[in-house]
Amino acid sequence: MPDPSSLLLERATAAVELAKTAGAAHVHASASQARNVEYKLRDGILEKVQEDTSRSVSLSLYVDGRYSRHSTSDLRAASLKAFVDEAVAMTRVLAPDPDRMLPPAELYPSGEAPELDVVDTGVPSLDRDARMARLQAMQSGLTGHEDVISWTAGISDSESFSAAVNTNGLSGTHHATSAWCGAEVTLQDPNGARPEDWFWGGGHHLKSMPDAEEVARRCLSQARARIGSAKGPTAQTTMIVDPRSSGRLIARLLGPASARSIQQGRSFWADSVGQKLFSEKLSLTDAPLLKGGHNSRPYDGEGLASRALPIVENGVVKNVYVDSYYGRKLGMTPTTGSRSNLQWVGGGRDLAAILADIDDAIYVTSWLGGNADGTTGDFSFGLRGHRITKGEMGPPIGEMNVTGNLIDLFAALTEVGDDGWPYSSSYSPTLVFDGVQFSGA
Amino acid sequence: MHRRRFLAATGAVTLTMPGFLSACGKSGSGPELAAAPPADPFAEWFGIDTATVQAVLAELGAGGADFGDLYFQHTRNTSVKMEDGIIGEATSSITQGVGLRVVIGDQTGYAFTEELTLEAMKKAARTAAAIARGNTTRLSPDQLQWPEIAHRDLYKLAVPWSAVGITDKLPRIQKLESLAKAKDPSVDKVQVSWWDSEERVMVCTLDGKVYREVRPQSRLWCTVVAKKGDETRSNSANLAGRRGIDFYTDEKLGELADKAVRLTMRLFDARRPPAGEMPVILAAGPSGILLHEAVGHGLEADFNRIGTSIYADKMGEKVAADFVTVVDSGVEPNERGALTFDDEGNDCQRTALIENGRLASYMHDTISARHYGVKPTGSGRRQSFKHVPMPRMRCTFMEDGPHTRDEIIASVDKGIIAETFTNGQVQIGAGDFTFYIKNGWLIEGGKITAPISDVNIIGNGPEALQNITMAANDAQLDTGGWTCGKNGQGVPVSQGLPTVLVSKLNVGGVDA
Repeated sequence: MPDPSSLLLERATAAVELAKTAGAAHVHASASQARNVEYKLRDGILEKVQEDTSRSVSLSLYVDGRYSRHSTSDLRAASLKAFVDEAVAMTRVLAPDPDRMLPPAELYPSGEAPELDVVDTGVPSLDRDARMARLQAMQSGLTGHEDVISWTAGISDSESFSAAVNTNGLSGTHHATSAWCGAEVTLQDPNGARPEDWFWGGGHHLKSMPDAEEVARRCLSQARARIGSAKGPTAQTTMIVDPRSSGRLIARLLGPASARSIQQGRSFWADSVGQKLFSEKLSLTDAPLLKGGHNSRPYDGEGLASRALPIVENGVVKNVYVDSYYGRKLGMTPTTGSRSNLQWVGGGRDLAAILADIDDAIYVTSWLGGNADGTTGDFSFGLRGHRITKGEMGPPIGEMNVTGNLIDLFAALTEVGDDGWPYSSSYSPTLVFDGVQFSGA
Repeated sequence: MHRRRFLAATGAVTLTMPGFLSACGKSGSGPELAAAPPADPFAEWFGIDTATVQAVLAELGAGGADFGDLYFQHTRNTSVKMEDGIIGEATSSITQGVGLRVVIGDQTGYAFTEELTLEAMKKAARTAAAIARGNTTRLSPDQLQWPEIAHRDLYKLAVPWSAVGITDKLPRIQKLESLAKAKDPSVDKVQVSWWDSEERVMVCTLDGKVYREVRPQSRLWCTVVAKKGDETRSNSANLAGRRGIDFYTDEKLGELADKAVRLTMRLFDARRPPAGEMPVILAAGPSGILLHEAVGHGLEADFNRIGTSIYADKMGEKVAADFVTVVDSGVEPNERGALTFDDEGNDCQRTALIENGRLASYMHDTISARHYGVKPTGSGRRQSFKHVPMPRMRCTFMEDGPHTRDEIIASVDKGIIAETFTNGQVQIGAGDFTFYIKNGWLIEGGKITAPISDVNIIGNGPEALQNITMAANDAQLDTGGWTCGKNGQGVPVSQGLPTVLVSKLNVGGVDA
């Protein structure tokens, strides 16, 4: 699609004007537009082709000291005006909140936009033949196997544009592309089960997608590793978490690391800045300017300029995610209200080296369900994987849980791999924890 | 992108279309055209005319199709939040558009547009129709029909949400907050979230049938933080359904406040159960999550059609005790998962999945029903016009069994009761499922002895079904708001269960 950035800026600016005319004192507006294409090939049949373009306008309104947020995809002039008028009227009946105001202008981006390397001009020019060629390449790796009941291969690409403006001087645009491909496969297990697994990868560039051959190979080997899965043991031992799965643990750990959760009394990160909460092995930085990073961005949802933000250094909490509203309530300087990419400090070894060198452990390949309490840190997750004994991988096990507390767990972190998962914004590596409680048969 | 399925009590948060009236007018004339069209339904709801819709249908069917449809949708959501004693945040959103679909055998061409101009819709129709390669019959209706809908008025509201102003909601929010605050001196913070939604849906099939209705949805959420000394605990409770504002009475607000505070206070005394396999009693109501994960997903026909479900090829087999009858129903009035017709225009119904212990039916959309040569069960659902429909659950529950709750508790020497839940998940092929218990109880020597919390449960679907050894006569539907996720699409569902004993499940505890 032709670059609509200036159109989006105009659209956002027009929305600001509409809201001001209706009586808003301050307004933040964003406008976005995206094109998505998805192809799915299942057992040799082109099962689904979907192409679409979506767009919307979002507003944050500050009216008489009151606050509200709105979005619409009905952009016809009359509809938009009616929508904004009603939004402003709705805001007036709320209670005033003195902590609600636009973030200070000095926190907005200034100067040249950072080079984020998140656009590949090859993505919007992908055509049916190019997408089919990749699907067929995955197909050739997935067909001809007697144990395969069904497989699905897919490719999904998009191009998105957005613009944000506010009445305090913010004005910015963002443009990104993405291309992902992958497959999933279901196998026949002689015992009657039908183990399945998937492998998807991608990023902002065409070259971010994994090789078709690798997709097929990894899907099959991962699913085959589940053949004959038995119930795991009840045991207290070391836990090694695969890079593909460690991101879920990190998401649970960082979920309550926000001013919002802390101010609301629902976070075990309360009063933690400056404290050593976790193992020295844990060092994490939020990195919104990472070149090519999945969640790289010039500014966040409020317009705060992106900068690297150390979260944990050698186990000591350095920062939490602070948006301007809850920051004001807590008396904390805003950092950013939402996670972008994570950067890790690894210990120099990858999963294979770590597995080969362990005496006794449960190696977690994937999670199934489970949850954590952000207030206390108590968690319980279902998992699948293998028992490792003297560096040797045992048969597949599953139908088991791991239970504990996230603070204790990350205090018992003994090793961080240098093998961050490339297909997720957490870039999470292999993680090793000591003395973990497993429940099995 | 991969097939992860989960059920989560999510706090999805996202006002009035003037002149937006409530559902399909019924003023019959003739057997095939029982429900006559309003004067200009497309104009009234979507600002377009009938000729435009017919032109788009013609374009959609031009390359040939087995079937196909236009799915028009206009959704308006409103939310209001009270935090720290201030009702200081409201949101509203409107999404509208049309999804266009062409199906040929197992193949689907799909496109959507948010711009409802003839040009934009015809362009999207051509994109969707590109799946056709000219080898099937051209389909396009000469004339639109308005067929009768078998079940109607399942959720007709006295006052539609579009006619309810925010000022009508504020006193209820305030009341709930003050009720919760007053319940216990340890209550430190109370957060109340209100959410309501009004959806106008119009399905136009390629053979000319038009179905339309208004689908309301609402939810009231109460989150409590309590402090005792250095200890902080938080929990929440919610009420949801295809309900109007009159549902949220003082009595209901009182019950919700009481539940949220009680479940929070109980966490101070809660411990972790022992680790390992043990009997698990599922309390009546929310425990329907067991059926959703252990049985429901595995019986969605799409997984069985391609052979990836653990239940594939098991239809008609005995899978549970005689007293086990499991139903997925679209026609439970005011339930979150209720639907008069599904998102393909098929009549909804009550579908027995397991009848007296025997597998009785899959849940079908049009594609799978054609594959199996059966009638669709009205289970074809989609998150929005941006998504293709697929077989989904609606309201899944188990009927009464022959036992009593007291008998069941007395029968367990060492085990747990699962009472409230936050989420669940299943692996279709292996049959392994999980659900997360927020609040429960320990049972020792046939008696309830202590509260427990934060426990994940894992089992295997077919095994757990066989291990349902007792079921009580106290079946009830949960009142909370559940959203089911499948292939990246979330749809509202409901669930229910009588008190049930599963003789053996894996309990995520500590210190075996």
